[in-house]
Amino acid sequence: MKNLVLLFLILTSLLSAQEKNTISGTIKDASNGETVFGASVYFKDTTIGVMSNEYGFFSITAPKGTYNLVISYLGYADMDQEIILDKDQKITFEISESSTTLNEVVITTSDTELVSIRKPQMSVSKLKMGTIKKMPAVLGEIDILKSIQMLPGVTNSGEGTSGFNVRGGAADQNLVLLDEAIIYNTSHLFGFFSVFNADAIKDIKLYKGGIPARFGGRVSSVLDIRQKDGNSKNFNLTGGLGVISSRLTAEGPILNKKGTFLIAGRGSYAHLFMKAIEDLKDDSAYFYDLNLKSNYEINSTNKLFLSGYYGRDFFKLSKIVENNYGNLSGNLRWNHIFNDKLFSNLSLIYSKYDYQVILDFVKLDWVAEIKNLNIKYDLKYYVSDKFKLDFGLSGINYKFNPGEVKPTAPDSPINYLKLDQKRAFEGGAYVSAEHKLTNKLTIQYGLRYSTFTRLGGQALSNYSNNTPVVYNNELGIYEQGIETNETDYKNNEKIKAFGNFEPRLAISYQLNKTSSVKAGYTKSTQYIHLLSNTTSATPLDVWAPSGQFIDPQISNQYALGYFKNINHKMYSLEAEVYYKTTDNRVDYIDGANLIGNNNIETEILNGESKSYGLEFLLRKNKGRFTGWFAYTLSKSEQRTLGGIAGGPGINNGDWYNTAYDRTHDFSLTGVYKHNDKWIFSSNFIFQTGRPVTYPNAQYQYEGISIASYSDRNANRLPAYHRIDISATYTPNKKPDNRWKGEWVFGIYNLYNRKNAASISFAQNTDTGINEATRTAIFGIIPSITYNFKF
Amino acid sequence: MKIHIKYILLALSIHFISCNDIIDVDVPTATPRLVIEASLDWEKGTVGNQQTIKLSNTKPYFDIATSNIVTGASVKVTNDNDGTELIFIDQNNGEYTTTSFVPVLNQSYTLEIIYNNETYNAQETLIPVSSIINIAQSYEGGFDDEVLDVSIYFQDPPDEDNFYLVRFKEVGDLFAELEDLSDEFVNGNLIDTWFEKEDNDDTNEESFVPGDIVNIDLHGISERYHNYIRLLIEQSNSGGDPFSAVPAPLKGNCINHIQPDNYALGYFRLTEVAKVSYTFQ
Repeated sequence: MKNLVLLFLILTSLLSAQEKNTISGTIKDASNGETVFGASVYFKDTTIGVMSNEYGFFSITAPKGTYNLVISYLGYADMDQEIILDKDQKITFEISESSTTLNEVVITTSDTELVSIRKPQMSVSKLKMGTIKKMPAVLGEIDILKSIQMLPGVTNSGEGTSGFNVRGGAADQNLVLLDEAIIYNTSHLFGFFSVFNADAIKDIKLYKGGIPARFGGRVSSVLDIRQKDGNSKNFNLTGGLGVISSRLTAEGPILNKKGTFLIAGRGSYAHLFMKAIEDLKDDSAYFYDLNLKSNYEINSTNKLFLSGYYGRDFFKLSKIVENNYGNLSGNLRWNHIFNDKLFSNLSLIYSKYDYQVILDFVKLDWVAEIKNLNIKYDLKYYVSDKFKLDFGLSGINYKFNPGEVKPTAPDSPINYLKLDQKRAFEGGAYVSAEHKLTNKLTIQYGLRYSTFTRLGGQALSNYSNNTPVVYNNELGIYEQGIETNETDYKNNEKIKAFGNFEPRLAISYQLNKTSSVKAGYTKSTQYIHLLSNTTSATPLDVWAPSGQFIDPQISNQYALGYFKNINHKMYSLEAEVYYKTTDNRVDYIDGANLIGNNNIETEILNGESKSYGLEFLLRKNKGRFTGWFAYTLSKSEQRTLGGIAGGPGINNGDWYNTAYDRTHDFSLTGVYKHNDKWIFSSNFIFQTGRPVTYPNAQYQYEGISIASYSDRNANRLPAYHRIDISATYTPNKKPDNRWKGEWVFGIYNLYNRKNAASISFAQNTDTGINEATRTAIFGIIPSITYNFKF
Repeated sequence: MKIHIKYILLALSIHFISCNDIIDVDVPTATPRLVIEASLDWEKGTVGNQQTIKLSNTKPYFDIATSNIVTGASVKVTNDNDGTELIFIDQNNGEYTTTSFVPVLNQSYTLEIIYNNETYNAQETLIPVSSIINIAQSYEGGFDDEVLDVSIYFQDPPDEDNFYLVRFKEVGDLFAELEDLSDEFVNGNLIDTWFEKEDNDDTNEESFVPGDIVNIDLHGISERYHNYIRLLIEQSNSGGDPFSAVPAPLKGNCINHIQPDNYALGYFRLTEVAKVSYTFQ
């Protein structure tokens, strides 16, 4: 690595042999000292400019001369400063929120005409917390994951379900990073809330496609969430009191203002009310989470960050069942600026997800977990104003503990059982360039090489003909293969290794000052799989690594888009089409039994999936009224052929709708600022119903009416739609009072639409007649929240 | 595993705030398919000569009017060891009966049904079962410690994989509650399983009170039939909710060799069964 750095240092000096100089530095928010990610920094009336990176760093190189340096970030006042570029220089800029901030909804893919139109990056959605906080929220709890579902191409399996789906992909195909740490489960209380505390988050960025080469490991999307660094100017308390949960955040400078800290906690207390209700007094359901962040500036070229997250859910139903689960992550990062053109970040990250289930009535205690240790080194090299280079390395060491069953009492009928632990190592190296070929044409090209090695320390079953699943020709069903013997793999012995090149390409061509077309291609590989044959992901699903019988998922995505700013960025329009294929998507044989199964390979086949769609997003960015309209027309299907297992495959080998196929997805979000006291917001959402399988016949068996089902996911639930509204009231502020408060009144599902979360078919036990039962989760829900800042 | 942990958990998580109602749904209609309920169950302590096989056709899911019994089929069971053939006699009500079946434990049998010029075959082995050692009522078993439940106890044989079907039925109920069991987590142990009812206004279900009579049947079943009945139970309980497995066609073991796509639904099973009846005190 050292040699590589040296090489670039030499390159730098060679390139700067021309009469050019570099200005570099950090962009910060004047009010709290938070670094600003994604601000555009450019020289006025030129095409020379960059965007500040995740740590607020930027570097611009240009021929000697006098320029007007403009820093622009929507919602903030433009900063315009004359720079005499006659030598390399380092400056920290502080930008302030414009006084009209509240008039603007700041949702933007990128900020200035200069970059948004020219930058090849496409298929990305960035939401600022300011925007998310103004959207109506269920039970008044601000939810990042629900907000991104208002954007085109993002859906989920319905209310009360975990995860989210991007461009027809599964929930486990999203890489969710909180300060670069992998978060395996994004939901609290089985999906009613997300695990991200809005007060601790600075911004989020969702890559739906055109995933930069520095990310790898998932095939559908990357959700990059950055925690706040903490206020470096003064000590601050923010918080909110809600109907079912509350939160409190403390932040401020430490160590002589060379460092900052942030600590944020959140908890729900609905279970306290449950105690008061006779029927529910032994039940309980609650969560809490804790975000920590601290940084320390050693000197102008070295900065350390420490961040952590701990969240936990508890769920108890009388003496029947107890369940708790949660994520834990921690990381240490070191920002080092080699010189004004070379920025680096080294991260050491730990993350873990685990769950426990205690079933009192069978005296059973069940635990499972996945954990990983990740080391990453990323460098960004601003070679010239026309050429920027990103490169780096990463290594992830995984440990999977799919399940351990313990009896909880001496008289328990349960035998102790521990499923095999699995180990694996995932490595990655990448290099990616952003290359401005002409003033109109910019290309971003990159290559990632990923490796995955499944490591030993366990015995693995072998199967006759090497087929863990076989097709029973007579019965027409898939069954477990015949286990012949076991191979014992020693610790760290290689069981199976994979390696894949993942090219990434993006092109933007500027049509005129306000519009451009972009095209992108992304190949990505995913080596770990969430095993779940239920329609929606659940906290109890198990992750499994690729290996002998499970191949890595490989996806190819092609996208084409048109981008336009209208009326001086008053409006912006984005339209994209995409086509995505994924190989080796795990599919489950009929009746697959995944819980407590040591030989998962006997229940699955490798299939494929494809999705394609059109996304349209029109935003109004300025004025009293801001908001956006999003529409997605899409298709998502999968197919699993028999392959070496024989037979036609799952669902007769026909293509069938994935559970996340939504033909139409339409949403409208609006915020209206009436005056300094009142802000109103509303959103409307309409989605084609989720694909489900309805019965097509009935028959009697054992005296019971049995529903007969046919093709998978051939039917649909009724369409999903609802309107939410909210009003924010800010009482008169006393100018010398540090205490600022606001009241948020909200109504979720205003017209009380009973959206079907599911429709189940069963016989009425009283009358014996077959019935269809609709389960609806959230009816109309009013809420009130008080937020404060001190 | 006694229950599908995941489904229970998740179904309950929704339970707090969800609302259920009966709605009208348009469902697709498949062409009728033959259904074979050939359950030859040999009750412990009996000779097991009397057996019935039921034949019917599938009908639309919400159809309550149409009769779908199948008459005029020829039904035959053969002992695979000695080739003894046994004809079941058409009772013209969808039932085909015999009084001369000879059950032999661990013996393989073949079923042949000819109906509408199509031939269906199935092969299965008669699986033995352990005796029910004890039956007892309590409050502590089951989900709810405040209502009565009844448990049966039986000894699982060690050193082999065993599968069970338990059938609980309270006298007077419309239909039975089925439970599939495997000894995966409890091999060689004394296994107990319970039956409990909750007070539920929606379904008019009432918890047990002294005087209630419950019939419990414990069947020994094959692994393949266990896979079948597990799926059948799962689908009849939870079909369609977001946490249940995607429902699938339930293919049994009745094959149409000439036209495989015209397979019959249902199953040819042979089981030994231990039966008890219990009156709550």
